[in-house]
Amino acid sequence: MFDLETQIRSWSDHLRAHGNFTEADLSELESHLRDQIEDLETSGLSAEEAFLIGVKRLGNVDAISHEFAKVNSENLWKHLFVEPVDPQARQQNRRDLGLVVLFALLAGTLIKVPGWFGLGFDAPGADLFYVKNLSLFILPFIAAFFMIRRGAPARAWLAILAIFAGSALLINVYPSFEPHNTTYLSGLHLPLFLWLVVGVTYIGQEWRRCQGRMNFIRFSGEAFIYGVLVFAGVMVLGGFTTMIFQAIHVDVGRFMEDNYIIYGVCFTAMITVYLVEAKRSVVENFAPILARIFTPLFLVTMTVFLVVMVVTGQSPFLEREFLIAFDFMLAMVLGLVLYVISSRDLNQPANLFDYLNLALIAVALLIDAAALSAIVFRLSAFGITPNKMAALGENLVLLGNLAGLAWLYVQYFRKKCAFIKLEQWQTAYFNGYAVWLAFVAFVFPLLFGFK
Amino acid sequence: MNVSKDLIAASATPLILAILKEKDNYGYAIIKRVREMSENELVWTEGMLYPVLHRLEEQRLIESYWDTAETGRKRKYYRILKQGRQELQQQKRQWEMIHAALTKSWNEER
Repeated sequence: MFDLETQIRSWSDHLRAHGNFTEADLSELESHLRDQIEDLETSGLSAEEAFLIGVKRLGNVDAISHEFAKVNSENLWKHLFVEPVDPQARQQNRRDLGLVVLFALLAGTLIKVPGWFGLGFDAPGADLFYVKNLSLFILPFIAAFFMIRRGAPARAWLAILAIFAGSALLINVYPSFEPHNTTYLSGLHLPLFLWLVVGVTYIGQEWRRCQGRMNFIRFSGEAFIYGVLVFAGVMVLGGFTTMIFQAIHVDVGRFMEDNYIIYGVCFTAMITVYLVEAKRSVVENFAPILARIFTPLFLVTMTVFLVVMVVTGQSPFLEREFLIAFDFMLAMVLGLVLYVISSRDLNQPANLFDYLNLALIAVALLIDAAALSAIVFRLSAFGITPNKMAALGENLVLLGNLAGLAWLYVQYFRKKCAFIKLEQWQTAYFNGYAVWLAFVAFVFPLLFGFK
Repeated sequence: MNVSKDLIAASATPLILAILKEKDNYGYAIIKRVREMSENELVWTEGMLYPVLHRLEEQRLIESYWDTAETGRKRKYYRILKQGRQELQQQKRQWEMIHAALTKSWNEER
Protein backbone atom coordinates (compact mmCIF):
# COMPACT_ATOMS: atom_id res chain seq x y z
CA MET A 1 0.00 0.00 0.00
CA PHE A 2 1.42 3.36 -1.00
CA ASP A 3 1.49 5.85 1.85
CA LEU A 4 2.34 9.34 0.64
CA GLU A 5 3.30 10.74 4.06
CA THR A 6 5.73 7.91 4.74
CA GLN A 7 7.25 8.29 1.29
CA ILE A 8 7.72 12.03 1.69
CA ARG A 9 9.27 11.55 5.11
CA SER A 10 11.73 8.94 3.93
CA TRP A 11 12.59 11.14 0.97
CA SER A 12 13.37 14.10 3.22
CA ASP A 13 15.31 11.83 5.60
CA HIS A 14 17.34 10.72 2.64
CA LEU A 15 18.15 14.35 1.81
CA ARG A 16 18.91 15.08 5.46
CA ALA A 17 21.39 12.23 5.52
CA HIS A 18 23.37 14.04 2.84
CA GLY A 19 24.10 16.66 5.46
CA ASN A 20 24.19 19.65 3.14
CA PHE A 21 20.69 20.91 3.81
CA THR A 22 19.49 23.09 6.64
CA GLU A 23 16.13 22.27 8.14
CA ALA A 24 14.71 25.35 6.41
CA ASP A 25 15.99 24.08 3.05
CA LEU A 26 14.32 20.76 3.66
CA SER A 27 10.95 22.22 4.52
CA GLU A 28 11.17 24.49 1.49
CA LEU A 29 11.91 21.55 -0.80
CA GLU A 30 9.20 19.48 0.85
CA SER A 31 6.67 22.25 0.34
CA HIS A 32 7.70 22.35 -3.32
CA LEU A 33 7.26 18.60 -3.67
CA ARG A 34 3.81 18.73 -2.07
CA ASP A 35 2.70 21.54 -4.41
CA GLN A 36 3.91 19.52 -7.35
CA ILE A 37 2.14 16.36 -6.18
CA GLU A 38 -1.11 18.22 -5.60
CA ASP A 39 -0.98 19.71 -9.09
CA LEU A 40 -0.25 16.35 -10.68
CA GLU A 41 -3.02 14.70 -8.71
CA THR A 42 -5.54 17.27 -9.90
CA SER A 43 -4.57 16.42 -13.45
CA GLY A 44 -5.57 12.84 -12.77
CA LEU A 45 -2.47 10.96 -11.61
CA SER A 46 -2.44 8.63 -8.62
CA ALA A 47 -0.57 9.67 -5.48
CA GLU A 48 2.22 7.23 -6.25
CA GLU A 49 2.73 8.44 -9.82
CA ALA A 50 2.56 12.04 -8.68
CA PHE A 51 5.19 11.37 -6.01
CA LEU A 52 7.56 9.65 -8.41
CA ILE A 53 7.27 12.36 -11.04
CA GLY A 54 7.60 15.10 -8.42
CA VAL A 55 10.79 13.61 -7.03
CA LYS A 56 12.16 13.11 -10.52
CA ARG A 57 11.49 16.73 -11.51
CA LEU A 58 13.34 17.96 -8.43
CA GLY A 59 16.37 16.31 -9.95
CA ASN A 60 19.29 14.14 -9.00
CA VAL A 61 19.76 14.25 -5.23
CA ASP A 62 23.55 14.17 -5.35
CA ALA A 63 23.69 17.08 -7.77
CA ILE A 64 21.23 19.18 -5.77
CA SER A 65 22.98 18.38 -2.53
CA HIS A 66 26.25 19.45 -4.11
CA GLU A 67 24.78 22.82 -5.11
CA PHE A 68 23.31 23.34 -1.64
CA ALA A 69 26.67 22.52 -0.11
CA LYS A 70 28.23 25.45 -1.97
CA VAL A 71 25.62 27.89 -0.70
CA ASN A 72 25.44 26.48 2.81
CA SER A 73 29.09 25.82 3.50
CA GLU A 74 29.24 28.07 6.51
CA ASN A 75 25.64 27.93 7.78
CA LEU A 76 25.96 24.24 8.45
CA TRP A 77 28.33 24.98 11.30
CA LYS A 78 25.93 27.23 13.11
CA HIS A 79 23.03 24.89 13.20
CA LEU A 80 22.48 24.17 16.85
CA PHE A 81 21.35 27.56 18.03
CA VAL A 82 19.36 28.56 14.97
CA GLU A 83 15.85 29.39 16.06
CA PRO A 84 13.33 27.08 14.44
CA VAL A 85 11.39 28.71 11.62
CA ASP A 86 7.85 27.84 12.45
CA PRO A 87 6.25 29.71 15.35
CA GLN A 88 5.10 26.62 17.20
CA ALA A 89 8.54 25.06 17.32
CA ARG A 90 9.99 28.42 18.32
CA GLN A 91 7.56 28.72 21.18
CA GLN A 92 8.41 25.24 22.36
CA ASN A 93 12.10 25.99 22.13
CA ARG A 94 11.69 29.09 24.32
CA ARG A 95 9.67 27.12 26.83
CA ASP A 96 12.39 24.45 26.95
CA LEU A 97 15.09 27.02 27.57
CA GLY A 98 12.93 28.56 30.29
CA LEU A 99 12.60 25.15 31.90
CA VAL A 100 16.35 24.63 31.74
CA VAL A 101 17.04 27.85 33.62
CA LEU A 102 14.23 27.30 36.11
CA PHE A 103 15.17 23.70 36.87
CA ALA A 104 18.86 24.50 37.22
CA LEU A 105 18.01 27.20 39.76
CA LEU A 106 15.59 24.91 41.61
CA ALA A 107 18.04 22.00 41.72
CA GLY A 108 20.84 24.26 42.94
CA THR A 109 18.64 25.75 45.64
CA LEU A 110 17.48 22.29 46.68
CA ILE A 111 21.10 21.30 47.26
CA LYS A 112 21.52 24.32 49.52
CA VAL A 113 18.38 23.63 51.58
CA PRO A 114 20.02 21.09 53.96
CA GLY A 115 22.64 23.75 54.69
CA TRP A 116 19.97 26.07 56.11
CA PHE A 117 19.06 23.37 58.59
CA GLY A 118 22.59 22.95 59.82
CA LEU A 119 23.62 20.23 57.39
CA GLY A 120 26.07 22.24 55.31
CA PHE A 121 28.93 20.57 53.50
CA ASP A 122 31.22 20.97 56.53
CA ALA A 123 28.78 19.62 59.11
CA PRO A 124 29.65 16.26 60.73
CA GLY A 125 28.00 13.39 58.90
CA ALA A 126 27.22 15.62 55.95
CA ASP A 127 29.44 13.68 53.58
CA LEU A 128 27.38 10.53 54.03
CA PHE A 129 24.18 12.50 53.54
CA TYR A 130 25.39 14.02 50.28
CA VAL A 131 26.85 10.74 49.01
CA LYS A 132 23.44 9.14 49.42
CA ASN A 133 21.35 11.98 48.05
CA LEU A 134 23.37 13.73 45.38
CA SER A 135 21.54 12.13 42.45
CA LEU A 136 18.19 12.96 44.03
CA PHE A 137 18.88 16.67 43.74
CA ILE A 138 19.32 16.76 39.97
CA LEU A 139 17.88 13.67 38.28
CA PRO A 140 14.22 14.35 39.20
CA PHE A 141 14.44 17.65 37.35
CA ILE A 142 15.84 15.98 34.25
CA ALA A 143 13.03 13.44 34.42
CA ALA A 144 10.49 16.25 34.80
CA PHE A 145 12.03 18.06 31.83
CA PHE A 146 11.49 15.03 29.61
CA MET A 147 8.00 14.38 30.89
CA ILE A 148 6.97 17.97 30.18
CA ARG A 149 8.53 17.80 26.73
CA ARG A 150 6.87 14.50 25.91
CA GLY A 151 3.56 15.52 27.45
CA ALA A 152 3.56 12.49 29.73
CA PRO A 153 0.18 11.38 31.12
CA ALA A 154 -0.64 11.83 34.81
CA ARG A 155 -0.17 8.12 35.40
CA ALA A 156 3.47 8.33 34.27
CA TRP A 157 4.06 11.38 36.48
CA LEU A 158 2.73 9.48 39.47
CA ALA A 159 4.80 6.38 38.78
CA ILE A 160 8.04 8.30 38.29
CA LEU A 161 7.38 10.50 41.27
CA ALA A 162 6.71 7.41 43.38
CA ILE A 163 10.01 5.85 42.35
CA PHE A 164 11.99 8.98 43.20
CA ALA A 165 10.16 9.60 46.46
CA GLY A 166 10.40 5.94 47.46
CA SER A 167 14.14 5.89 46.73
CA ALA A 168 14.70 9.06 48.72
CA LEU A 169 12.70 7.76 51.65
CA LEU A 170 14.29 4.33 51.75
CA ILE A 171 17.84 5.52 51.42
CA ASN A 172 17.47 8.10 54.15
CA VAL A 173 15.54 5.90 56.57
CA TYR A 174 18.24 3.23 56.47
CA PRO A 175 20.71 3.63 59.31
CA SER A 176 24.43 3.54 58.60
CA PHE A 177 27.09 1.95 60.80
CA GLU A 178 30.89 1.89 60.59
CA PRO A 179 32.53 1.41 58.13
CA HIS A 180 29.55 2.63 56.06
CA ASN A 181 30.30 0.31 53.14
CA THR A 182 26.69 -0.27 52.22
CA THR A 183 25.95 3.46 52.35
CA TYR A 184 28.70 4.19 49.88
CA LEU A 185 27.54 1.34 47.68
CA SER A 186 24.01 2.76 47.70
CA GLY A 187 25.39 6.18 46.89
CA LEU A 188 27.21 4.68 43.92
CA HIS A 189 24.42 2.49 42.55
CA LEU A 190 21.40 4.69 43.17
CA PRO A 191 22.37 7.36 40.58
CA LEU A 192 22.85 4.69 37.93
CA PHE A 193 19.52 3.12 38.78
CA LEU A 194 17.79 6.49 38.70
CA TRP A 195 19.47 7.29 35.41
CA LEU A 196 17.71 4.28 33.94
CA VAL A 197 14.48 5.66 35.41
CA VAL A 198 15.24 8.95 33.66
CA GLY A 199 15.67 6.80 30.57
CA VAL A 200 12.06 5.69 30.88
CA THR A 201 10.93 9.32 30.92
CA TYR A 202 13.20 10.04 27.95
CA ILE A 203 11.74 7.23 25.87
CA GLY A 204 8.16 7.80 27.03
CA GLN A 205 5.30 5.44 26.29
CA GLU A 206 7.36 2.88 24.47
CA TRP A 207 10.06 2.44 27.08
CA ARG A 208 10.00 -1.31 26.70
CA ARG A 209 10.77 -1.16 22.99
CA CYS A 210 14.17 -1.83 21.54
CA GLN A 211 14.43 1.28 19.36
CA GLY A 212 13.46 3.66 22.15
CA ARG A 213 16.08 2.13 24.41
CA MET A 214 18.74 2.35 21.71
CA ASN A 215 17.93 6.04 21.45
CA PHE A 216 18.41 6.45 25.15
CA ILE A 217 21.79 4.71 24.89
CA ARG A 218 22.75 7.16 22.16
CA PHE A 219 21.44 10.01 24.25
CA SER A 220 23.48 8.92 27.27
CA GLY A 221 26.71 8.79 25.28
CA GLU A 222 26.22 12.24 23.80
CA ALA A 223 25.09 13.67 27.11
CA PHE A 224 28.28 12.43 28.76
CA ILE A 225 30.49 14.05 26.14
CA TYR A 226 28.56 17.32 26.05
CA GLY A 227 28.40 17.36 29.83
CA VAL A 228 32.17 17.10 30.14
CA LEU A 229 32.64 19.90 27.61
CA VAL A 230 30.09 22.22 29.21
CA PHE A 231 31.48 21.52 32.65
CA ALA A 232 34.99 22.34 31.44
CA GLY A 233 33.58 25.68 30.31
CA VAL A 234 31.94 26.24 33.70
CA MET A 235 35.27 25.57 35.43
CA VAL A 236 37.14 27.94 33.15
CA LEU A 237 34.61 30.70 33.84
CA GLY A 238 34.89 30.03 37.58
CA GLY A 239 38.69 30.13 37.56
CA PHE A 240 38.66 33.28 35.50
CA THR A 241 36.21 35.00 37.86
CA THR A 242 38.27 34.13 40.93
CA MET A 243 41.40 35.39 39.23
CA ILE A 244 40.18 38.81 38.11
CA PHE A 245 38.65 39.48 41.52
CA GLN A 246 41.96 38.60 43.12
CA ALA A 247 43.51 41.32 41.02
CA ILE A 248 41.38 43.91 42.86
CA HIS A 249 41.88 42.18 46.22
CA VAL A 250 38.33 40.94 46.60
CA ASP A 251 38.16 37.35 47.76
CA VAL A 252 35.27 35.57 46.06
CA GLY A 253 36.49 32.07 46.97
CA ARG A 254 33.80 31.56 49.58
CA PHE A 255 31.02 32.71 47.27
CA MET A 256 32.32 30.51 44.46
CA GLU A 257 32.39 27.46 46.70
CA ASP A 258 28.96 28.06 48.18
CA ASN A 259 27.09 29.08 45.07
CA TYR A 260 28.92 28.99 41.79
CA ILE A 261 30.00 25.34 41.88
CA ILE A 262 26.56 24.11 42.97
CA TYR A 263 24.56 26.10 40.47
CA GLY A 264 27.24 25.45 37.86
CA VAL A 265 26.83 21.70 38.18
CA CYS A 266 23.04 21.92 38.01
CA PHE A 267 23.20 24.25 35.05
CA THR A 268 25.65 21.92 33.31
CA ALA A 269 23.31 18.97 33.77
CA MET A 270 20.23 20.79 32.51
CA ILE A 271 21.81 22.57 29.56
CA THR A 272 23.50 19.34 28.48
CA VAL A 273 20.20 17.53 28.44
CA TYR A 274 18.64 20.36 26.46
CA LEU A 275 21.50 20.53 23.95
CA VAL A 276 21.65 16.82 23.28
CA GLU A 277 17.89 16.74 22.88
CA ALA A 278 18.02 19.65 20.42
CA LYS A 279 20.99 18.42 18.44
CA ARG A 280 19.71 14.90 17.89
CA SER A 281 19.14 15.15 14.19
CA VAL A 282 21.47 18.02 13.50
CA VAL A 283 25.00 17.06 14.43
CA GLU A 284 26.66 13.72 13.98
CA ASN A 285 26.90 11.76 17.22
CA PHE A 286 30.34 11.84 18.72
CA ALA A 287 30.29 8.85 21.06
CA PRO A 288 30.32 6.34 18.17
CA ILE A 289 33.28 8.14 16.65
CA LEU A 290 35.20 7.86 19.92
CA ALA A 291 34.20 4.21 20.17
CA ARG A 292 35.51 3.51 16.68
CA ILE A 293 38.79 5.21 17.44
CA PHE A 294 39.37 3.34 20.68
CA THR A 295 38.02 -0.12 19.84
CA PRO A 296 41.18 -1.18 17.97
CA LEU A 297 43.42 0.40 20.60
CA PHE A 298 41.72 -1.39 23.48
CA LEU A 299 41.83 -4.61 21.52
CA VAL A 300 45.59 -4.33 21.06
CA THR A 301 46.23 -3.48 24.73
CA MET A 302 44.06 -6.28 26.03
CA THR A 303 45.44 -8.86 23.63
CA VAL A 304 48.98 -7.98 24.70
CA PHE A 305 47.89 -8.20 28.33
CA LEU A 306 46.34 -11.60 27.77
CA VAL A 307 49.47 -12.92 26.04
CA VAL A 308 51.77 -11.58 28.78
CA MET A 309 49.51 -13.01 31.47
CA VAL A 310 49.62 -16.45 29.90
CA VAL A 311 53.34 -16.40 29.06
CA THR A 312 54.52 -15.19 32.47
CA GLY A 313 52.02 -17.41 34.27
CA GLN A 314 51.01 -14.54 36.56
CA SER A 315 47.54 -14.94 37.94
CA PRO A 316 45.58 -11.71 38.00
CA PHE A 317 45.61 -10.22 41.41
CA LEU A 318 43.14 -11.07 43.99
CA GLU A 319 42.37 -7.92 45.87
CA ARG A 320 39.12 -6.09 45.55
CA GLU A 321 40.74 -3.15 43.78
CA PHE A 322 41.80 -5.45 41.01
CA LEU A 323 38.37 -6.95 40.75
CA ILE A 324 37.05 -3.45 40.32
CA ALA A 325 39.64 -2.89 37.61
CA PHE A 326 38.25 -5.89 35.75
CA ASP A 327 34.69 -4.65 36.25
CA PHE A 328 35.86 -1.42 34.73
CA MET A 329 37.39 -3.29 31.81
CA LEU A 330 34.13 -5.09 31.10
CA ALA A 331 32.11 -1.89 31.37
CA MET A 332 34.57 -0.18 29.03
CA VAL A 333 34.34 -2.98 26.47
CA LEU A 334 30.57 -2.95 26.72
CA GLY A 335 30.55 0.81 26.14
CA LEU A 336 32.79 0.55 23.09
CA VAL A 337 30.77 -2.29 21.59
CA LEU A 338 27.51 -0.57 22.37
CA TYR A 339 28.40 2.72 20.73
CA VAL A 340 29.77 1.07 17.64
CA ILE A 341 26.48 -0.83 17.40
CA SER A 342 24.43 2.29 18.10
CA SER A 343 25.62 4.07 14.96
CA ARG A 344 25.32 1.04 12.77
CA ASP A 345 22.76 0.78 10.02
CA LEU A 346 20.77 -2.36 10.80
CA ASN A 347 20.63 -3.48 7.19
CA GLN A 348 24.25 -3.03 6.25
CA PRO A 349 26.26 -6.26 5.96
CA ALA A 350 28.89 -7.24 8.52
CA ASN A 351 31.87 -4.91 8.42
CA LEU A 352 35.30 -4.64 9.98
CA PHE A 353 34.03 -3.12 13.21
CA ASP A 354 31.66 -6.01 13.80
CA TYR A 355 34.61 -8.41 13.71
CA LEU A 356 36.66 -6.09 15.92
CA ASN A 357 33.77 -5.98 18.38
CA LEU A 358 33.59 -9.73 18.59
CA ALA A 359 37.37 -10.00 19.00
CA LEU A 360 37.27 -7.38 21.76
CA ILE A 361 34.49 -9.19 23.61
CA ALA A 362 36.28 -12.53 23.23
CA VAL A 363 39.54 -11.21 24.67
CA ALA A 364 37.68 -9.48 27.50
CA LEU A 365 35.83 -12.70 28.35
CA LEU A 366 39.07 -14.70 28.44
CA ILE A 367 40.80 -12.19 30.71
CA ASP A 368 37.81 -11.93 32.96
CA ALA A 369 37.37 -15.68 33.22
CA ALA A 370 40.95 -15.99 34.45
CA ALA A 371 40.51 -13.14 36.92
CA LEU A 372 37.19 -14.39 38.14
CA SER A 373 38.33 -17.92 38.84
CA ALA A 374 41.15 -16.58 40.99
CA ILE A 375 38.86 -14.20 42.82
CA VAL A 376 36.08 -16.63 43.60
CA PHE A 377 38.70 -18.95 45.07
CA ARG A 378 40.07 -16.15 47.23
CA LEU A 379 36.67 -14.91 48.23
CA SER A 380 35.80 -18.17 49.87
CA ALA A 381 39.07 -18.04 51.79
CA PHE A 382 38.87 -14.43 52.99
CA GLY A 383 35.24 -14.01 53.80
CA ILE A 384 32.46 -11.96 52.35
CA THR A 385 32.15 -8.17 52.52
CA PRO A 386 29.52 -6.00 50.82
CA ASN A 387 32.15 -4.39 48.62
CA LYS A 388 33.47 -7.71 47.38
CA MET A 389 29.98 -8.99 46.73
CA ALA A 390 29.04 -5.85 44.81
CA ALA A 391 32.20 -6.03 42.72
CA LEU A 392 31.65 -9.70 42.06
CA GLY A 393 27.99 -9.21 41.18
CA GLU A 394 28.84 -6.38 38.79
CA ASN A 395 31.36 -8.62 37.15
CA LEU A 396 28.87 -11.42 36.64
CA VAL A 397 26.14 -9.13 35.31
CA LEU A 398 28.52 -7.56 32.79
CA LEU A 399 29.93 -10.96 31.90
CA GLY A 400 26.46 -12.26 31.14
CA ASN A 401 25.75 -9.29 28.94
CA LEU A 402 28.99 -9.62 26.93
CA ALA A 403 28.72 -13.40 26.63
CA GLY A 404 25.23 -12.98 25.18
CA LEU A 405 26.49 -10.39 22.71
CA ALA A 406 29.39 -12.65 21.67
CA TRP A 407 27.05 -15.57 21.11
CA LEU A 408 24.68 -13.45 19.02
CA TYR A 409 27.57 -12.00 17.02
CA VAL A 410 28.69 -15.51 16.14
CA GLN A 411 25.13 -16.40 15.14
CA TYR A 412 24.94 -13.25 13.08
CA PHE A 413 28.19 -13.96 11.24
CA ARG A 414 26.94 -17.46 10.50
CA LYS A 415 23.82 -15.79 9.10
CA LYS A 416 21.65 -17.54 11.65
CA CYS A 417 20.04 -14.34 12.91
CA ALA A 418 19.51 -10.71 11.90
CA PHE A 419 21.49 -7.90 13.47
CA ILE A 420 18.42 -6.53 15.21
CA LYS A 421 18.65 -9.54 17.57
CA LEU A 422 21.80 -8.03 19.09
CA GLU A 423 20.08 -4.74 19.78
CA GLN A 424 17.08 -6.53 21.21
CA TRP A 425 19.25 -8.58 23.53
CA GLN A 426 21.20 -5.55 24.63
CA THR A 427 18.20 -3.35 25.30
CA ALA A 428 16.31 -6.14 27.07
CA TYR A 429 19.36 -6.71 29.26
CA PHE A 430 18.92 -3.23 30.69
CA ASN A 431 16.12 -4.68 32.80
CA GLY A 432 18.80 -6.83 34.39
CA TYR A 433 20.95 -3.79 35.14
CA ALA A 434 18.01 -1.95 36.67
CA VAL A 435 17.27 -4.91 38.94
CA TRP A 436 20.88 -5.35 39.97
CA LEU A 437 21.47 -1.65 40.64
CA ALA A 438 18.29 -1.41 42.70
CA PHE A 439 19.29 -4.57 44.54
CA VAL A 440 22.65 -3.12 45.58
CA ALA A 441 21.16 0.26 46.45
CA PHE A 442 18.18 -0.98 48.48
CA VAL A 443 18.70 -4.61 49.52
CA PHE A 444 22.44 -4.74 50.23
CA PRO A 445 22.13 -2.52 53.31
CA LEU A 446 19.54 -4.92 54.70
CA LEU A 447 21.63 -7.99 53.88
CA PHE A 448 24.79 -6.64 55.48
CA GLY A 449 23.24 -4.99 58.50
CA PHE A 450 23.78 -1.38 57.23
CA LYS A 451 27.55 -1.67 57.73
CA MET B 1 13.79 22.57 -26.79
CA ASN B 2 17.10 21.52 -25.24
CA VAL B 3 18.80 24.60 -23.93
CA SER B 4 22.46 24.33 -22.98
CA LYS B 5 23.33 24.19 -19.27
CA ASP B 6 25.44 27.34 -19.43
CA LEU B 7 22.66 29.32 -21.03
CA ILE B 8 20.14 28.12 -18.45
CA ALA B 9 22.49 29.09 -15.64
CA ALA B 10 23.15 32.51 -17.13
CA SER B 11 19.50 33.28 -17.77
CA ALA B 12 18.26 32.05 -14.39
CA THR B 13 19.07 35.23 -12.48
CA PRO B 14 17.31 37.72 -14.78
CA LEU B 15 14.32 35.40 -15.14
CA ILE B 16 13.92 35.00 -11.38
CA LEU B 17 14.36 38.71 -10.76
CA ALA B 18 11.83 39.57 -13.46
CA ILE B 19 9.27 37.17 -12.01
CA LEU B 20 9.77 38.50 -8.50
CA LYS B 21 9.40 42.04 -9.85
CA GLU B 22 5.82 41.15 -10.77
CA LYS B 23 5.06 40.09 -7.20
CA ASP B 24 6.49 38.18 -4.24
CA ASN B 25 6.52 34.50 -4.98
CA TYR B 26 7.64 31.05 -3.84
CA GLY B 27 9.81 28.48 -5.56
CA TYR B 28 7.23 26.21 -7.06
CA ALA B 29 5.25 29.13 -8.51
CA ILE B 30 8.41 30.68 -9.93
CA ILE B 31 9.14 27.51 -11.85
CA LYS B 32 5.58 27.34 -13.12
CA ARG B 33 5.86 30.94 -14.26
CA VAL B 34 9.10 30.24 -16.13
CA ARG B 35 7.48 27.37 -17.94
CA GLU B 36 4.51 29.56 -18.78
CA MET B 37 6.59 32.45 -20.08
CA SER B 38 8.74 30.17 -22.26
CA GLU B 39 5.67 28.28 -23.49
CA ASN B 40 6.92 25.06 -21.92
CA GLU B 41 10.25 25.25 -23.71
CA LEU B 42 12.41 26.11 -20.73
CA VAL B 43 12.38 23.27 -18.20
CA TRP B 44 14.55 23.61 -15.12
CA THR B 45 15.80 20.90 -12.83
CA GLU B 46 13.55 22.11 -10.07
CA GLY B 47 15.78 21.34 -7.12
CA MET B 48 18.47 23.57 -8.63
CA LEU B 49 16.29 26.65 -8.29
CA TYR B 50 16.71 26.85 -4.53
CA PRO B 51 20.49 27.13 -4.32
CA VAL B 52 20.21 29.91 -6.91
CA LEU B 53 17.55 31.70 -4.85
CA HIS B 54 19.68 31.37 -1.73
CA ARG B 55 22.68 32.77 -3.51
CA LEU B 56 20.68 35.77 -4.74
CA GLU B 57 19.53 36.23 -1.17
CA GLU B 58 23.10 36.19 0.03
CA GLN B 59 23.95 38.89 -2.52
CA ARG B 60 21.06 40.94 -1.09
CA LEU B 61 19.27 41.04 -4.45
CA ILE B 62 16.22 39.38 -2.92
CA GLU B 63 15.01 38.52 0.56
CA SER B 64 12.80 35.77 1.91
CA TYR B 65 10.07 35.30 4.50
CA TRP B 66 7.83 32.45 5.59
CA ASP B 67 4.12 32.71 5.09
CA THR B 68 1.18 30.35 5.37
CA ALA B 69 -0.81 29.66 2.23
CA GLU B 70 -4.61 29.25 2.21
CA THR B 71 -4.07 25.50 2.28
CA GLY B 72 -2.36 25.89 5.65
CA ARG B 73 1.03 24.91 4.30
CA LYS B 74 4.05 27.05 5.10
CA ARG B 75 5.79 28.53 2.12
CA LYS B 76 8.99 30.49 1.78
CA TYR B 77 8.31 33.60 -0.26
CA TYR B 78 10.92 35.72 -1.96
CA ARG B 79 10.79 39.47 -2.46
CA ILE B 80 12.96 41.54 -4.79
CA LEU B 81 15.11 44.26 -3.19
CA LYS B 82 16.25 47.60 -4.53
CA GLN B 83 19.63 46.17 -5.44
CA GLY B 84 17.84 43.37 -7.26
CA ARG B 85 15.89 45.83 -9.37
CA GLN B 86 19.13 47.59 -10.33
CA GLU B 87 20.72 44.24 -11.16
CA LEU B 88 17.71 43.38 -13.32
CA GLN B 89 18.07 46.67 -15.21
CA GLN B 90 21.70 45.98 -15.82
CA GLN B 91 21.09 42.40 -16.95
CA LYS B 92 18.34 43.64 -19.24
CA ARG B 93 20.73 46.01 -20.97
CA GLN B 94 23.35 43.26 -21.33
CA TRP B 95 20.91 40.74 -22.77
CA GLU B 96 19.46 43.35 -25.17
CA MET B 97 22.92 44.21 -26.32
CA ILE B 98 23.76 40.55 -26.97
CA HIS B 99 20.40 39.97 -28.56
CA ALA B 100 20.90 42.96 -30.87
CA ALA B 101 24.37 41.81 -31.84
CA LEU B 102 23.18 38.28 -32.58
CA THR B 103 20.20 39.52 -34.58
CA LYS B 104 22.48 41.71 -36.65
CA SER B 105 24.92 38.88 -37.33
CA TRP B 106 22.12 36.56 -38.40
CA ASN B 107 20.64 39.18 -40.70
CA GLU B 108 24.03 39.63 -42.35
CA GLU B 109 24.36 35.86 -42.90
CA ARG B 110 21.40 35.88 -45.19
